[in-house]
Amino acid sequence: MLTYEKAAPDRPRTEHPALPWVTTVARLVLAAVLIAAGGLKIGAPALSVQAVKAYQLLPDSLATAIGYGLPILEIVVGVLLAVGLLTRVSAVVAGLLMLAFVVGIASAWARGLRIDCGCFGGGGELSAGQDPNYFWEILRDFGLVIVAAWIVIRPPGRLAMDSALGLTGPREPYQPEGDIFQGEEPDA
Amino acid sequence: MSKAARDASVRARIAAQREAQRKQEQRRRLATIITIVVVVLAVIGGGWWYAAEQTKSETVAGGLAPVTVQSDGSVVMAKAGVTTPVLDIFEDPQCPVCKQLEEISGPTIKNLAAEGKVKVVYHPLTIFSQEPTRSNSLRAASALRCVPDGKQWLAFHDRLFKEQPSETVEGFKIDDLVKWGHDVGVTAPGFDSCVKDQTHKAAHEQFSTKTMADQQLQGTPTLKLNGATIDNNTIFVPSALRQEILNAAGAK
Repeated sequence: MLTYEKAAPDRPRTEHPALPWVTTVARLVLAAVLIAAGGLKIGAPALSVQAVKAYQLLPDSLATAIGYGLPILEIVVGVLLAVGLLTRVSAVVAGLLMLAFVVGIASAWARGLRIDCGCFGGGGELSAGQDPNYFWEILRDFGLVIVAAWIVIRPPGRLAMDSALGLTGPREPYQPEGDIFQGEEPDA
Repeated sequence: MSKAARDASVRARIAAQREAQRKQEQRRRLATIITIVVVVLAVIGGGWWYAAEQTKSETVAGGLAPVTVQSDGSVVMAKAGVTTPVLDIFEDPQCPVCKQLEEISGPTIKNLAAEGKVKVVYHPLTIFSQEPTRSNSLRAASALRCVPDGKQWLAFHDRLFKEQPSETVEGFKIDDLVKWGHDVGVTAPGFDSCVKDQTHKAAHEQFSTKTMADQQLQGTPTLKLNGATIDNNTIFVPSALRQEILNAAGAK
């Protein structure tokens, strides 16, 4: 009985009241980066494709598919995080994206490629006299992986649609008024 | 009924009621999640399709507008009498994004010139300062200057972008350049030796440096319409580029 309760993480009910707000801030930070990155790329799909190709990691057809899909994916995941919808899944996707970017940039660095990460638009091309910023790009994206991980561990935070729609699972077990069996529930 | 039995029955009833409530709640939650996931996937799919659609190239249907090589190394493609609007194309044969531009919007540019809507001016440049890209670019751009015939120049130009090497290897090798020239029908006497000796290398470098300074270029490709740089979100979307140029042509 009440097995579904076991699926929910065992969490002390006395968590600090500020913690859910930390998740909210994390969501907004990640969402802002994703929406900006996607928004700057979405107007020129060809450039986005070129930016993916510049990493020389994927076959052209796959790079093309990703180049078309990445901007819209970033925007959609960003919006989901901003409003706190499917928060945990969105944060997993966002975290995996950032991890993929870290791997991609590190690999470009290791292979001595001189490219722009194409993170916020641009075709992966450096202008004349411009140097790659691999270190800071990796640091930034790795920081965002950690932000995403926080959201995965403690979703959905305050001001989340998930809570409004009751998608978070019954965090407080439902206690009918005047429950005569209080004390018998394992989790009460 | 004893008190114990009555308690047990109440207990069972409440448990059943709670269980039903819980089931219903679960179903509702599942339906909500599925709805959201479907909507999200539809938006992503739609966005993907739209991106692919925006990037569709035109095909060069009819012939080309007359192409003439200028003394400074730039090349004009325009129907007789068409002097405005002017579309300046600044591109480096080694630059991958320029290749992308040629693939995606090249046909639109050629078509518009053939339709007499625009005067196109190609400015082949060398923007790279590192090796091997700088030498690759210099060899290719110098070879372009060995083709005095406009039509052959454009064919050679297109072939160069098609054969563009990776930025990490030595490419545009002399022998290849000569061979591609012959392939596309370059007939100029002395073409082979002109390419081999890189006869026009110094002239090209000078032209390139001067153009970049005069035009204040941030990089390639840059497209300017009547002197104003066109936004990237326009030049890589053929339909948007066509509209931009037609607007300028209509306003003259």
